[in-house]
Amino acid sequence: MKISVNGEIKEFNSERLMLNELLEEMKFGKGVAVALNETFVLRTSYAKTDINDGDRLDILSPVQGG
Amino acid sequence: MTNSNKKWKIEGKEFDSRLMIGSALYPSPEIMKNSINASGSQIVTVALRRQSAGEQGGNPFWEIIKELGVTVLPNTAGCHTSKEAITTAMMAREVFQTDWIKLEVIGNQYNLQPDPFALVEATKVLIGEGFRVLPYMTDDLVLAQRLADIGCTTLMPWGSPIGSGRGLMNPYNLKVIRKQFPNLNLIVDAGIGKPSDAIEAMELGFDGVLLNSAVALAQEPVMMGEAFKYAVYAGRLSYEAGAMQKRDMASPSTPTVGTPFWHQFA
Repeated sequence: MKISVNGEIKEFNSERLMLNELLEEMKFGKGVAVALNETFVLRTSYAKTDINDGDRLDILSPVQGG
Repeated sequence: MTNSNKKWKIEGKEFDSRLMIGSALYPSPEIMKNSINASGSQIVTVALRRQSAGEQGGNPFWEIIKELGVTVLPNTAGCHTSKEAITTAMMAREVFQTDWIKLEVIGNQYNLQPDPFALVEATKVLIGEGFRVLPYMTDDLVLAQRLADIGCTTLMPWGSPIGSGRGLMNPYNLKVIRKQFPNLNLIVDAGIGKPSDAIEAMELGFDGVLLNSAVALAQEPVMMGEAFKYAVYAGRLSYEAGAMQKRDMASPSTPTVGTPFWHQFA
């Protein structure tokens, strides 16, 4: 399946993927926050959040801000 | 009487400094750290952006901010709709472990003017979600009223557009907001270019100023951070001390009694 991760299309072989597995596979560290299809996902829900073909993920981390 | 030991309370926390400072645009992380330290600021704004996969080595920027031991104020910079701003605020709360959010919803790309309608909409939702919303807003009295009505206890009207360094474009509007909302925390956010602008804001009775470019883009950011520290302090002291009334006529400051005969008037 194809998933957009931070605006880039990524291909995954798995038929079924949970959000925590995807973050691990892509080696995202801790200290990030995730929005799935522009909706915030609580960290405690990662293991029960299904990722489907065509989903859009935004994975954000701290940066400088004004 | 001096206020040198007075604490300032905002959103349930107490601080010594009334200067809030941004963490962006510094020539280097080291200069950022030293500038924030020199400014004496205890509240620092931060943001969230997309992270590249595989960045396992930690986040050096975030490590520096944590080491500073300051209160972080995450922003929703770059959001153009209330939905984007709400989602970003939720994400910020999880990453930064704070209910504080500097809510920005931009309505115009040219001058980065906040969208007042989307701002009110997002504020309402976020307050309902338990956030302490510090809205970045225009200097509009009615907008201030709407935001106060829905529960904001801090308002942050702009001095002038973000990063413009133009100072206070409309002191009258700011003065009216101050007069109408004596019990809210009012911060001038954006547009401050020089320490004298910060003094002007504080002398209007504002509770604090939030700035970034004025320090980060100075020739000597660390020195400018220190300049703002004193400016904000001086401005507050001046406001509390109460300035004299302006007069049209001159009035001698040296006593006239006992003036030598050659200066006597008939």
